[in-house]
Amino acid sequence: MGRIWNLVAIEARIELRERFALAGLLLYVLSSSFIVFSIWRQLPAKEWGLTFWVIFLFCSLMAVLKTFGRESETRYYYYYTLYHPLELFLAKVLYNAALLIFIFLSLWFVLFVMAGDHIVRGGWFLATGFMACIGLSVLLTLIASIAIKTQQNASMTAILALPLMIPVLINILRLTAYSLGTTPDENPWNEVTLLTSIISLVTGMALWLFPYLWRS
Amino acid sequence: MVVSISLAIVMQTTVRPAKASPLALWKWASIIILIYVFIAGWVVPLKPGIIAVTPERTIAGKQVILKVKGYNTFFSRDSDNLRAWLRLRGDTVIQSQRIEVKDDRNAVAVFYIPSAFPFAQDAYPLTLILDHPTDGSSVLPNAIFVTPAVVIDSSEASLWYKDKIDKIHDQAGIRFPFRNILAETIRNTYFHVPMWFSMIVLLGISAWYSLRYYRKGLIIDDQKSTAFVKIGLVFGLLGLVTGMLWAKHTWNAYWSWDVKQNMSAIALLIYAALMVLRSSIDDEMQKARLSAGYNMFAFILLIPLLFIIPRMTDSLHPGNGGNPAMGGEDLDNTMRMVFYPAVIGWILLGIWISQLVYRVDILKRNQ
Repeated sequence: MGRIWNLVAIEARIELRERFALAGLLLYVLSSSFIVFSIWRQLPAKEWGLTFWVIFLFCSLMAVLKTFGRESETRYYYYYTLYHPLELFLAKVLYNAALLIFIFLSLWFVLFVMAGDHIVRGGWFLATGFMACIGLSVLLTLIASIAIKTQQNASMTAILALPLMIPVLINILRLTAYSLGTTPDENPWNEVTLLTSIISLVTGMALWLFPYLWRS
Repeated sequence: MVVSISLAIVMQTTVRPAKASPLALWKWASIIILIYVFIAGWVVPLKPGIIAVTPERTIAGKQVILKVKGYNTFFSRDSDNLRAWLRLRGDTVIQSQRIEVKDDRNAVAVFYIPSAFPFAQDAYPLTLILDHPTDGSSVLPNAIFVTPAVVIDSSEASLWYKDKIDKIHDQAGIRFPFRNILAETIRNTYFHVPMWFSMIVLLGISAWYSLRYYRKGLIIDDQKSTAFVKIGLVFGLLGLVTGMLWAKHTWNAYWSWDVKQNMSAIALLIYAALMVLRSSIDDEMQKARLSAGYNMFAFILLIPLLFIIPRMTDSLHPGNGGNPAMGGEDLDNTMRMVFYPAVIGWILLGIWISQLVYRVDILKRNQ
């Protein structure tokens, strides 16, 4: 576990060394919310939830896209001799999840300031966001590790990841509707079970496949 | 087919196989089964049914003249024995006072609808039931809506219990059921549904070959897996197209953003992405490894996408969101005689085509 934290710390240090990286993400969040808000003018509760996740989706793609491109290839050979691929993968997932949670919280703040507060069940929304961040982080990290091996890295991540994200996203949207109070559904536990089982399925598959995909 | 035959001819001049190998038994089976499915699926007629009734609404306590339009019916044969009932619920029925037969497809039934009903309601939907010695019985649910009368004579409520539906005739011969919205499109069951069954089977075989590539690392397994994905995609697309045509006739739109339609389109997108991924990698081993990994990942995610999520949402599609799945009157024993062979036949055909595709790929590689 300590070794994984080491890798996470390295990741964070590299990210923070380039100051524009985090600031760029924040700017992305701000400007896309601004565009959406200037188109809609006002966001009723239902549209608030949809807008939130559309912006979040593209921000998360942006954030995780470059996760394997940041370091040189020779450095990965070096890592390969030092760490088990799973350690590297878990470190990347943890770091990306933290990044997504950062995006989630800042986007929530931005939309809260711009379009008002529509969340009825704040705890539920926070839990939904955390689950989404972990699930999407695992999925996007795996896809990014596949896409880095191809020639068109950026577009390939989007092509491969977007359709695979939909099962996760549908459940997140339902849980969001519950936390916004826009659905008559009073029992969200079905969705929670489905979402956690999809996430654990994805995580299991990713842990099994990553060592195999990573060696080249 | 043409490609494989021409390749076989080319091969013969160079390699000279000892003897052309005969077609395997299961391939003959698929040909024969599909010929049977096409003939039986298109030729067997539907049972008689009722298409429409005019007028659609009336007021209780007066006589109503119902014009009945039949489908595949033969009213003019033995027209004296044609009987009609309007059913409120269970045994609560009224029989027609008289029936005039115009021709085989059109008849006029005259009913007196009592001004009092056994229970109070804003409007009463009545089901029309016809019985005929040769056509058998046919039913049209919610044929006519009755609004309550202004003056209610409560003694008339007993009229509802006077008549009984009895001595119903059975229609002889092999025929597919007539369903009111489906009508002739019920035959699509033998084409639309097996397409999806075949797609799942082909993609499953493909994922299995990916697993074999993961274990053993033989490039031939990668080629087989790709061939099965390609043909699985074709079957999925055909399933989508047949489904859209069916939806146009039953749901009145090719695409109504139904959850089942969306999820299956996304499933196809996932596999189309796999093909894009393959085309963007040059190195053979790299391509094989990455696509094997993605393929297994995609197949596992396909299960919640196609089988769990649509079941949890409202949907027009049978088998989802509280709708009954195939069965009951939608799939009776006559239809099962065609449907089950159709599933087997289409799956075998899919495997056959995939086999041809990867054989051609292997020949091209060895050239």
